[in-house]
Amino acid sequence: MTIVPQKVFRTSLPLACVVLLAIAFGGRTPAQQKPTAQNAAQQSPVTFNRDIATILYRTCARCHRPGEAGPFSLLTYADTKSHARQIAAVTKNRFMPPWLPEEGALKFADELRLSEDEIARIQAWVEQGTAEGNPADLPPMLKFVEGWQLGKPDVIVKATKPYALPASGSDHYWNFVFRTPVDRTRWLKAMEIRPGDKRLVHHANVLVDRQQNGRRLEAEPGAGFAGMELTIESEVFDPDSHFLFWKPGSIPYVEPDGMALRLDKDTDLILNTHLQPSGKPETIQPTLGLYFTDKPATKHPILLQLENDRLLDIPAGERHFVVTDEFTLPVDVDLLAIYPHAHYLGKDLQAIAKFPDGRSETLIHIPDWNLNWQAVYRYAQPVKLTKGTTISMKFVYDNSDDNVRNPNSPPQRVVAGNRAVDEMAHLWLQVLPENSASAKTDPRAEILEAMARHNLQKNPKDFEAHYNLAALLMGRGEVAEAIAHFSEANRIRPNEPTVNNAFGAALLAAGRTEESVPHLTAALNARPDYFDARYNLGNALASLGDFRGALAQFQAAVRINPGDANAEANLGSAFAEIGDPKQAKLHYQRALQLNPNHELARENLQQLGREPSPR
Amino acid sequence: MGDRLQIPRSFSRFFFAIMVLCLVTSPLISTSSQSFATDLDGRPFDPFRAAQGKVVVLIFVRTDCPVSNRYAPTIQQLSTQIGDKAAFFLVYPSKKENSETIRKHDRDFGYALAALRDPRHILVKQSQAQITPEAAVFDANRRLVYHGRIDNLYEDFGHARKRATTHELADAIEAAIAGKTLTANATPAVGCYISDLE
Repeated sequence: MTIVPQKVFRTSLPLACVVLLAIAFGGRTPAQQKPTAQNAAQQSPVTFNRDIATILYRTCARCHRPGEAGPFSLLTYADTKSHARQIAAVTKNRFMPPWLPEEGALKFADELRLSEDEIARIQAWVEQGTAEGNPADLPPMLKFVEGWQLGKPDVIVKATKPYALPASGSDHYWNFVFRTPVDRTRWLKAMEIRPGDKRLVHHANVLVDRQQNGRRLEAEPGAGFAGMELTIESEVFDPDSHFLFWKPGSIPYVEPDGMALRLDKDTDLILNTHLQPSGKPETIQPTLGLYFTDKPATKHPILLQLENDRLLDIPAGERHFVVTDEFTLPVDVDLLAIYPHAHYLGKDLQAIAKFPDGRSETLIHIPDWNLNWQAVYRYAQPVKLTKGTTISMKFVYDNSDDNVRNPNSPPQRVVAGNRAVDEMAHLWLQVLPENSASAKTDPRAEILEAMARHNLQKNPKDFEAHYNLAALLMGRGEVAEAIAHFSEANRIRPNEPTVNNAFGAALLAAGRTEESVPHLTAALNARPDYFDARYNLGNALASLGDFRGALAQFQAAVRINPGDANAEANLGSAFAEIGDPKQAKLHYQRALQLNPNHELARENLQQLGREPSPR
Repeated sequence: MGDRLQIPRSFSRFFFAIMVLCLVTSPLISTSSQSFATDLDGRPFDPFRAAQGKVVVLIFVRTDCPVSNRYAPTIQQLSTQIGDKAAFFLVYPSKKENSETIRKHDRDFGYALAALRDPRHILVKQSQAQITPEAAVFDANRRLVYHGRIDNLYEDFGHARKRATTHELADAIEAAIAGKTLTANATPAVGCYISDLE
């Protein structure tokens, strides 16, 4: 009798290393006031009540009010008068309100830009002597929601330990790990990020960490860890991606129906914060408020990344260093949001879409980049990008002394990296692939494959691209090509357990069992509690007739994950093979307890009953 | 260092020893005119008289000005470094910031300097100060020898360096202590306008 171990190969279908994922930026004005359209120069005299209050209510008060990020309130005439010249100065040079994109044909939700007329009106008001005007002209005071902006959250989690921010020094980057805030799978429709003292936190991102990568970086549990940019690995094909972003004045963004974000019971959330010393020692202990919905995700947006960090090698003193990248869409998508990202040398950041019909459209243009005011920009309406549209980015960097933000004085050669003194050239786009019922393949997989192939063109040694492409090919059953790319990934990083396991599993699937063993063994040497690798090695050894070796692997696998029916069933088979029907029966039964529909365990169990004991 | 960041400055070739003729100078401002700065107890206070002929450094600040708050460690450190070779005073020009607010603010930000209120802008005018934070340096003869920014950390609103590369205030104080004359005696500051308080 031969009882064949079930040939189910476990591979991680990784969706790669995703830097700076999630984000959600909000900020709807509590009350919209229509600015008067008259030209400020013709209007005289300009008064606070009639001409200025509406501007403040729309663009300033969200931050410039008690408890918010603005350093002083701008709600009343007295508030405003005591900062009048400053307001005139910072609005004239467009430092305030902070809004980096230039006005373009595509509109963003909640644009904070002042019109030329509004700026002129403020100038005139200050020049004319800051008149208060007729009380009857004053629009009604805004009503702000106190406390949680969307009502009481379903779950509130607070950072385990506060972070002590020193009084002085340059910017700090700190990450807080929120441990598994849910006890079962929930669908997140909104998140309010309360970073602590809003005057200290310049912006913050939440990253969804499904593999608990962040915890490994903490010196002690709950301590958090330093770092500006994070790499979060995901080992499952789970490309759904959302921007979960906080900047001053944000109101939590509520995902539309069907676009909720899945949180599992073992998912961690990492809050990546950019902090600025205030002049006195401070402590920061952020809180997250989570809002759930019963409606699971039916639409699956993903994040695309254009980048060309490899070309970032900026000579000291270079005033105009250009980095470009281009990506052609393999399917139709709706572009929902855009997030350009560079560090302190970035000067002019631009993204353009060139449509198949030859038309082109500026997706975003930031002529005076300022890392401190970086943000996710959501389009007011989704932007239709048809198959064949080429998205191109062009980022310009200034590594001279003219750039006052240059972290090096005198300037030094700067290359790509994750530290604040390094540079980045990243453009993230949140796109929703059009779902067509006729499509055979998941459009997300098509996009990711095109992305991986594009990245390999840019850099044939791109580890993530080889790995992701191989995993996608495996998912489609194209084993031979998958093996070629796993092999490349394995050559670039020989000790990566995830790659060794996936590579081993691919070889196993191709019938190259003997070749698979060293890779699966290497995966386990690097990570002894790697369940998938134990299971795969057990199968490999069983195929080679080494049932005792297989038995040991399945036993270890069952210890790591006692809830896995397949591992139990295969353990039963290994026992049967070495002539221990009693143990075999026990494990088949366990497999059936775990999964009553486990066909293989049932058949093998019946077979066991029919056959006489081999010994 | 870029050309445009350099502050043109030259020292006069000849040094003049300044003889201090009388150690106790008469009050600069008559207290009867209601025109005076006060200490935090509300008593009229003349920093020049208190300084007893030393170099006087006035630093204009405001509790709700983020730029001036961010300078607190720099200001405190500089005054510690100079020690008793010069007399440092924090000056709060806002009418609305009362002594209690200022005391709390100074505690929070670790200031150990004498703080004054100047709601009538007597010292503001003497110093030609326009911004918080802005510094004014007076030599031992009460002559204004420097007013302007502390250093070049901020080039403009939102244009901050990682760290300052020129230190105008420290240079001015050292020159004043050494009795040197500064030719470029004003450098515009970045921060909050004092005139907004009028």
